[in-house]
This record gives sequence, C-alpha cells and structure tokens, in this order.
Amino acid sequence: MSVHDPFAAERPVAYGGRRYMPSWRWLAEAMWWVEHSFGRAHADARPEEDTRVRIFVILSLFSAVFVLLALGATHAALLTARGGVGSAVHPNAVVRADMVDRNGALLATNITHYGLYIDPAEVWDRKAAAAQIKRALPRVSMAKLNKVLNGDRRLLVINRLTPQEKVAVHGLALGGVAFEPEDVRVYPLGESARHVVGNVDTGGVGLSAAERAFNDEIRAAGARGETFQVSIDLRIQGILENELAAAATETKARGAVGIITDVQTGEVLGMASWPGSNSRNLASAATYEMGSVFKTFTVAAAIDTGRADMNTLLDASEAFQIGNRRITDFHATNKVLTLEEVYLHSSNIGTSRLSTEMGPRVMRDYFERFGLLSRAPFEIASETPIIPREWSDSTLASLSFGYGISITPLQMAAAMQALTNGGRYIPLTLRKGGRPDVQARQVISPETSLTMLDLMRRNVVRGSGGRAEAPGLRVGGKTGSANKSVNGRYSTAHAVGTFAAVFPADGPVNARRYQILVLIDEPQTYPRTGGFVAAPAVGRIADRIAPFLNVQRRADPYRTAVGDKIPAFEDLEGDGR
Amino acid sequence: MSSAVATLNRLYAWKIRGVRWVEIIGVMLVAAMVFSVYLAKAAAARESARISDLERQISDNGQRVRLLRAEVARLEQPGRLEALSRGAGLGPVDVHRQATEASLSTLVAVSAPPPPAPVVAPPVEDAAPAVDPVAEPAR
Repeated sequence: MSVHDPFAAERPVAYGGRRYMPSWRWLAEAMWWVEHSFGRAHADARPEEDTRVRIFVILSLFSAVFVLLALGATHAALLTARGGVGSAVHPNAVVRADMVDRNGALLATNITHYGLYIDPAEVWDRKAAAAQIKRALPRVSMAKLNKVLNGDRRLLVINRLTPQEKVAVHGLALGGVAFEPEDVRVYPLGESARHVVGNVDTGGVGLSAAERAFNDEIRAAGARGETFQVSIDLRIQGILENELAAAATETKARGAVGIITDVQTGEVLGMASWPGSNSRNLASAATYEMGSVFKTFTVAAAIDTGRADMNTLLDASEAFQIGNRRITDFHATNKVLTLEEVYLHSSNIGTSRLSTEMGPRVMRDYFERFGLLSRAPFEIASETPIIPREWSDSTLASLSFGYGISITPLQMAAAMQALTNGGRYIPLTLRKGGRPDVQARQVISPETSLTMLDLMRRNVVRGSGGRAEAPGLRVGGKTGSANKSVNGRYSTAHAVGTFAAVFPADGPVNARRYQILVLIDEPQTYPRTGGFVAAPAVGRIADRIAPFLNVQRRADPYRTAVGDKIPAFEDLEGDGR
Repeated sequence: MSSAVATLNRLYAWKIRGVRWVEIIGVMLVAAMVFSVYLAKAAAARESARISDLERQISDNGQRVRLLRAEVARLEQPGRLEALSRGAGLGPVDVHRQATEASLSTLVAVSAPPPPAPVVAPPVEDAAPAVDPVAEPAR
C-alpha cells in the first residue's frame, strides 16, 4: 500500500465500521482494495491505464467462461456415450421382472391393471350409471358402487381391472369415470408351481418362496427390462404335479411331496406339494420320520468307514436285543445276511447291528455331513429337523432305520444327492446353474458313492423298489415306510411311505444324474409301504421326464433297454418295504 | 515487437461510424453462435420427442407382449394340457413303440399291403352282375 494512499486513513481495521473475526478480516480487506482501486489509480495519476486493465480482466474472464462453455458443448455434442440419449429408464422396465423357468417359460409377470375411479359430480344419471357399470363389470360390489356414486368426491370403486374389463367399462362412455394404471403381479399358471414361485404383497415385495428369496434380484432385473430365471423346468414340474396328485388321490393320502433335482448341481428341477397352493409347502415346512430310506445312510457310513463291504455278514437269525428292547425285521429272514441282503431285505436287525458297531461319534459325524441334523440350506425357509437329544445304542438302532429323527423332504433330497454324485454335499437351490457361492463338501468317497448307486439299482431290480422300474432308465432307489407318532405312540393307522430314487444309476460318479423323491403322507390304501404307494409314481415320473432330460434308454447288467429281465430277478420279499 | 503492438492497437482502434470493427465482428460471432445453438437445440428437441415417442411405443408393445405371453402361459398350463390330452385319449407312448434315431434302421418294416388287383372292364354282354345284389343276404 502506497504511503500516499488518501484512503488509508479511512481503511478500517474492521471493514464497514464493523469488527470482524480475524479469519474474516482478510476478505474484508480484499473487498476494500477492489472497491477503492479506481480512486487509488486516480491518486497515482494512472486513470486510463486502470480502466484498460479492468476491461482486459473482465474480457479475459468472459472469454475464459465462454471457451469453457464452448468446450463443454463440443464435448457433449461429440463425445457423449452411446445410450446417453433418451430417458434413463428402460422402456420395458417393470417393478418386478418376469420370472421364467430354465427354458424361458413364463411363471410370473407384471401386467398393468387399472383402478376404477368415479367422480359423482360429473355423473348425470347415477342410477343408470350404476346399472350399466354392474352389467359391464359383474364382479363389482353394488353397495360400493352406490356409495361412491352417492358420495361427494372422487373415490376408488374397484381396483385390479384387467385390460378387457377396462375396455368394457370405458366403452360405456360415462362421464366422471376414470382409470388409473397399477402394476399387478400375475401368475398365469394358476396353482401350478406356486409353492416354488411364491407371491408378493400389493407393494410388489416378495412374501414367499422364490419371490421372497430373490426379491432384490428380481426388482433389479425388472429395472433393466430383463427376465429372472429359476432352476425349475416347467415340463418336469407339470409331470411331477400331475403324477403326485394322481398317486395321492389313488392312495387317498392326506398329503404328498415330490422333489426332482440335478444331483451334480443341486438345482431343483421340480418341487411339488399336494394338496395345492393354499396349504403349506410340505417339502420345506413339514418334517417326517422317513423309515428305511435311512438304511442307505447307515450302510453308506459302514462302507465308507471300511467297517463293512458287500460281503460282510450280519446275523439276522434272531431279534437284536438292546437292553429291554427287541428289534425285529418286518419280514424276518431268520438267517445270516450279507450287507447287500440287509439292504435289499430292508433288515432292521442288520442296520441296527451296523450302527451300534459304528457308535455315536461316527453315526453323528456322517448324519451331520449328510445335512440330516441341521436345517436345509435352501432359498426357501425350511423347518428345523427334530433330532435325538442323546445318542444311546437304542437311539442309534432307531436312527439306522429312520426312526427317532424327523427331517424335511428337502433335507432327504440333498442327502440323497450326496450319496449319488460322488459323495459331494451340494445344497439345493432354485438358482439356475447352481449356487456359485457354495463349495461342495465331501461326505463319502467316490468309491462308496459308486457302491451305493449299484446297491440302489439292485434294490429296484430285485429288492423292495421294483415298482419304480422304468424300462431302460436304470432307476435305483430305496423305499421308506414309517408309522407316525400320534399322541406319543406310533400308530399303525398313520403311516408315511417314501421312495428316494436316482436315475440313471450306472456310469461314472460325475455322469448326469437326477434324483426323484416322492413321499406319501398317511396313505389310506393297503399296503401303505413306500414300495407300493410312492415307488410306482417315481417310475412313472422317470419314464415321462427322461426325454426332457435327454436320458436315453439303455440296457444295464440287470435289464434290457425295454425293461426285460437279464436274468429274471425277483422281489425277495414282495412286500415293497 | 513494438510494431506488432502498434498493428494490434491499429486493428483494435479500426472503427466504422464510431463503432469498433472488433465489436461488430464479436457481436456477429455471438449472433451466429446463438443461432447455431438454437438450431442444435431445436434439432435435439425433435430427436428427444421422437425418442420419447419410440420409447412409449416400445413400452406399449412390451405391455401387449406381456399380456399375450401371460395368456399363452395360462393356456399351456401343464395340468390343463394333460387333462386335454387324457380327454383326447392321448398318453405316454409304450416303451416297445419307441425308437431312437440310431435304431431306425433296425426296425422291422411294416409289410406293405398287396397292390390292388387290376380291374378289367367286363365285356359288354357280361356286364350284368352274376348275383343279384338285392338277393344277397344281409350280414
């Protein structure tokens, strides 16, 4: 600052006569300097030069801004990314994406419906209008219609009008009638696959099953205008539902469950629960003691630990005594049996001996690894299994033939997968292609898995599962039959019949293979065993879905491609137990 | 250097009717720019309107497609198709009547029906039937 500055005396320590905080003082001084620069220039005898400087500075500023704007405009015109033009929202965007099966068949979609609104002030003849609307739209409530027509403001009469209904009402050309679009989730398949697909609330939030499990992904796919695929195959789902309903009706059952999975990926190709969608999904929400199907796990554990092989002999010549409890066979053979015979005869004595020999630590370890002791890791929330509190010899014996433990059909399906895919436990999933975030865990060795596949096949060829045979499809499986506990006692009048199957049972452990589980709850026809109530349905299902899965009919060591015997084997007991 | 500054000063001071040419040229450039921006904006607005129209059409068509797909899915319900098939007497084909593409050559050919005997026109005098059709007993 010049010592000749005439304004120096006026220059305030506090600009404008007000005192400022030290942090603001520099700003006040800068403004003061700008405001008094013209006078200062005059004082310095350089008025012309000062004006030019000002003009130059302002010109420079404007030029800089102008150049920046020009550069911005050029950039926007020439270098805008493709797709930046038009609205940011995808033209086919919806609140929730269409849900489709693994082949693209529609399971759920969003359709624009309409809410019908009436403003009574604009209706000339209210009585005639009510009559005409009722004729065009029979499902509308006359009471509600009259209430709105005789009111004093615009109100909703009915929502969820289909496009056809809207056209019918619109065609009446009535004054005061308006429609407002609303996005509605529609399930065109009706009852079919509803236990898998689930439903949503009026706000478009998933409430159950896949709609709930994949809620965020479905909404995100909807915003992109894409579809959301699930693992089920609608053709297979349809066959499963039809055959399950037929089996349940035929056996006069209280309920039934069917699950079909790809054992190598864990994908659920079909899942059905009978009766229909108004009831709970028995596959996930109900637990059962499944009986002799568990012998498969007991035998597998014995083979896998090296405690037994196919030629191991087990004494079933008399009842197996554990304390005061006598364990007997449904059809006593009264002889020493090989391990294969134990499995094919479904001998309670044989598997009880195996389980007590293995002991609680080994049994618990294998049951844990098969996923039988904990809730199934699945996208649909499932029931917690009921497992024994203590693992005594008597409990082990019960567990070995499927009593004393209640599990969901989902758990059984996942465990059977592990038995038949080389020993890898893969959680079931509704996600097409399997779950990418899950590592399979090894439960049994691939060799044990191959042995079990052969044993299950033999059980269909010459054991209790004969009625599940489908010509040329090499079906293997195990029956299960159990009485239900009613008021704390096992009732012979209340039974559960199960058949857990795999096809084709031949080939290497990593061959394409499919698992079918059918459970019939409280069949009323006799015999009530799994071999009679569930196995026939499995055979029919395998026979019908094989073409969709591209499984060719072929001969194996036991049967020709058209199902003829080589040589003639017989059902050892003929009881299908 | 000083001659360049002098030239610039002369150009800057070049006037017509008291108005600098620099200012006239500047105003003309600004006017040209404003006009071109107007043209560009107008073209962009037209494009935007057209894009919006196309997007609305796509959305409408998408809605119709969704409606039709839903209707197709309803008509193709597995349960409905099976009931219709059973009603029409259709069912799974017996395994003995199935063949793969590879086994086509091994299938036994169905014996062809014998060719019809050539019809010989009867002579005119024998045209009358040997047996009176009216006399033939009903079977």
